Amino acid sequence: MSERLRDKVRGISQPLYSNARLINYYWQRARRNKLAVFGLAFIIFLVLLAAIGPFFTLDPTAVNFEEKNIPPVGFTIEQSIYSIETNELSTKEIHGTWRHPLGTDSKGRDMLAMIVSGARVSLLVGLIATGIAIILGTIIGVLSAYRGGWVDNALMRFTDVMMTFPFFLLLVLIVFIFGPSLAFIVLAIGLTGWTGTARLIRSESLSLRTREFIIAAKALGASDNRVIFRHLIPNVTSLIIIIATLSIPGVILAEAALSFIGLGDPTVSSWGIILEAGQHSLNTAWWVAVEPGVMLFLTVLAFNFLGDGLRDAFDPKSNI
Amino acid sequence: MKHKLNNKLLQIRNLKKYYPVSAGLLSRHIGDIKAVDGVTFDISEREIIGLVGESGCGKSTLGKTIPRLEEPTSGEILYKGSDVTKLDKNGLRELRREIQIIFQDPDASLDPRMTVGDSICEPLIIHNIGDEKKRMERVAELMEQVGLETRQANLYPHEFSGGQKQRIGIARALAMNPKLIIADEPVSALDVSIQAQILNLMMDIQERLGLAYLFIAHDLSVIKHMAHRVAIMYLGKIVELANKKEIFENPLHPYTEALLSAVPSFKPKDKDRILLRGDVPSPLNPPPGCHFHPRCHRILPICNQQEPELAEVSEGHFVACHLYR
Amino acid sequence: MKTTMDNVILKVSNLKTYFFTRRGIVKAVDGVEFELRRGECLCLVGESGCGKTVTALSILRLFDSPPGKIVEGQIRYDSLDLAECPSKQLRQIRGKDIAIIFQEAQSALNPVLTIGDQIIEQIKLHLPLDHGKARDRAITLLSEMGIPSAEGAMSYYPHQLSGGMKQRVLIAMSLSCDPQILIADEPTTAVDVTIKAQILDIFRELKARRQMSTIFITHDLAVVAEIGDRAVVMYGGKDVETASVSEIISNPKHPYTSGLIECLPDVSKNTDRLASIPGTTPNPLEMPQGCAFHPRCPKAMKICKQQEPPEIITSKEHKVSCHLYT
Repeated sequence: MSERLRDKVRGISQPLYSNARLINYYWQRARRNKLAVFGLAFIIFLVLLAAIGPFFTLDPTAVNFEEKNIPPVGFTIEQSIYSIETNELSTKEIHGTWRHPLGTDSKGRDMLAMIVSGARVSLLVGLIATGIAIILGTIIGVLSAYRGGWVDNALMRFTDVMMTFPFFLLLVLIVFIFGPSLAFIVLAIGLTGWTGTARLIRSESLSLRTREFIIAAKALGASDNRVIFRHLIPNVTSLIIIIATLSIPGVILAEAALSFIGLGDPTVSSWGIILEAGQHSLNTAWWVAVEPGVMLFLTVLAFNFLGDGLRDAFDPKSNI
Repeated sequence: MKHKLNNKLLQIRNLKKYYPVSAGLLSRHIGDIKAVDGVTFDISEREIIGLVGESGCGKSTLGKTIPRLEEPTSGEILYKGSDVTKLDKNGLRELRREIQIIFQDPDASLDPRMTVGDSICEPLIIHNIGDEKKRMERVAELMEQVGLETRQANLYPHEFSGGQKQRIGIARALAMNPKLIIADEPVSALDVSIQAQILNLMMDIQERLGLAYLFIAHDLSVIKHMAHRVAIMYLGKIVELANKKEIFENPLHPYTEALLSAVPSFKPKDKDRILLRGDVPSPLNPPPGCHFHPRCHRILPICNQQEPELAEVSEGHFVACHLYR
Repeated sequence: MKTTMDNVILKVSNLKTYFFTRRGIVKAVDGVEFELRRGECLCLVGESGCGKTVTALSILRLFDSPPGKIVEGQIRYDSLDLAECPSKQLRQIRGKDIAIIFQEAQSALNPVLTIGDQIIEQIKLHLPLDHGKARDRAITLLSEMGIPSAEGAMSYYPHQLSGGMKQRVLIAMSLSCDPQILIADEPTTAVDVTIKAQILDIFRELKARRQMSTIFITHDLAVVAEIGDRAVVMYGGKDVETASVSEIISNPKHPYTSGLIECLPDVSKNTDRLASIPGTTPNPLEMPQGCAFHPRCPKAMKICKQQEPPEIITSKEHKVSCHLYT
């Protein structure tokens, strides 16, 4: 084998992950969507916040009744204070301080610390629960589409049954039975949220299955396994990424909703838990509810922008 | 065009592929789409057979049934003597080394997520040929054979033109040194000038590697240069089979005459165009008697009652038509 | 030689349609000139990517804008310049004066409406007819196109028709408002050879019976030979040769035209190999210097790499852009 041919041959057959060209191509397309870029930037910021934020903030569980209900920096609020000694109600002006940039809650816990630790919880819940749902949904969807026949029927009827369960009530039931632990919440969301993914992946796989390159692979002698894993799944990957990106906000909100009705895990301070506590003091300490609310809102927006941008980037027919 | 009388590579006997159709609330079986309805012919080594017919005549289905990408309903497919329909999974995999397919749509037949180098390499991986280094060498060799530059192996299908994609498909089909290539309308989707390039390439490869082709097309002019023998197909049946010279100079079946006359010609004043009336009837409900009779310009009274059999009318020239009984 | 000026129904002058994309400027049409005469069938011929479709779209400004834009040139129809006239006027012309048929019959028809509804909608858009009269007109058109039992066919959905039928329905729709000019973009390319023959026949009849002026776009010179009166050969966004069809066939001047003729299986004298034009059409973002065809030209000279060839009128209204004739 001559040097010449070896030089020519070098670089052939690099697997996708080390051959960055395709990823780069999609990235070029995605980054033209300004909103998607904002979404991505916010998510990166959130991840950093969750990862290293807790090292820089105060202890979110430190209770300090002396410093309860301090407003965020720049705000001033009037608090009524009942003094036991003088038996008088007087009002006092409390100013926000930089010691607690986002204020404190009714137990004197630092809001910034709680929001940051809440970010960690929400992201973990979002990623893990979505991960479980996506993997389950993909396996069921691809299997259903590829095998067809009774397998398809059985799996889809099972999916139908799962879909008819009122998702939220199911969550409530699970949490009620097994107790409000974060692990169970994540598991519950994951095990109930795969149905939509399964249907989408199945229909995409069905349309791919009759595409000529799948038939071509079979004509070359490929086994069913190879066709599924080497051809079918890589071509639904972009759909999976989009579904995942657009599912994460729903999952985060599901956890927040559970916490809001009191079924959340009280040992962690997720945004939902904070919101739940904050709803009682909207008059006196509005920031306790508003801050986690704003974070939830921005997070959901960010993931949705990113998901939309990715969907456009991956679609070869959209002219970006 | 003469070629040596070689061994028979493929023998198809009364091959049928029916698609059952159900309708109604209880999914009753109401009939079959007779895509391939009793086809018999042979392909010898190094022979090029052109299979021509309109859309819906079953030629693509026939092409896919031979390597059992579609399961035949009945009939025999003998490859080198052994019956393909009875092969198990391993036997089938071996068969797929020797019979390869080139598809019509160069866009759809390549996996958009794989580099073309990987696509060409895939059959080698599936059949466990050689090691990584040998495979890469083989891929480079194949790309050169089809007129592509090896440095393009890292590119993705969408970065190539239609003609180039078809070359990639051909390279992939050649990877396992097949004996028979089933080409399903390989140039229909290409510009006329590119068609010529790809047809020339296919002819070169056939000569150099001693391959047999089943060349499926809807246009007789495309196979005019390449084929040794031509089979004309209509609604699942072969209506005429002869060597190329005979088909082009002495077509017997009225359908063949119409096909020949339909080819847009550079010298249009030559002949009176025979315009086929109507469209191809539905394969679910073919006309009684000879399936072609409603569109035939030389119809006889018997034609709507009895189906004509494919019979040899002169040496090597078969036709299914009542005009020649 | 009678003057043809008064016979000209559409005149395209120095048309340049560029697409401003992120990757660069695509000069899809780069200085195309031709005229369409009343009652004739003018063919735009060339391989994929030569700009013939964009030329047709430019006449009715049907391309996406952005990124496309007519940067220069005129399209004179009636007393208007279609390249510049306001959208409102253009919309009145589309479908009524100038109709266009696209290549993929399948996607041009709305799958959820019957073909009857679609034709009637088209008719009522431009003509002040009531539903009953519009329906009658539709049925007449369908039978003119050779669709059997036209009245019953009106209630068919597109998926119930074969490819050839769909193409005929599209042609019927385009004729519904009696246009002056019909533009057909590769109507015979995606169909079987027998349907191709039927469609060509329809176009021949249209010319004979209605004196329809047609611009017929194709990459197949054999089709041009069948139904064209005059042909404009295009390459790399420019028109490289223009002449009557009989002239082009018997006396092609541009090497590209001769190359295209040689490619036809019909014409190849050598039965062992088909003649072909080596190489592929140029990437519009990387056009060669000088004459766009020179890398593939068997007669390329030194000057071809440097300078774009000028337009030369040889004889009998035969125009060619090639250095061989300076």
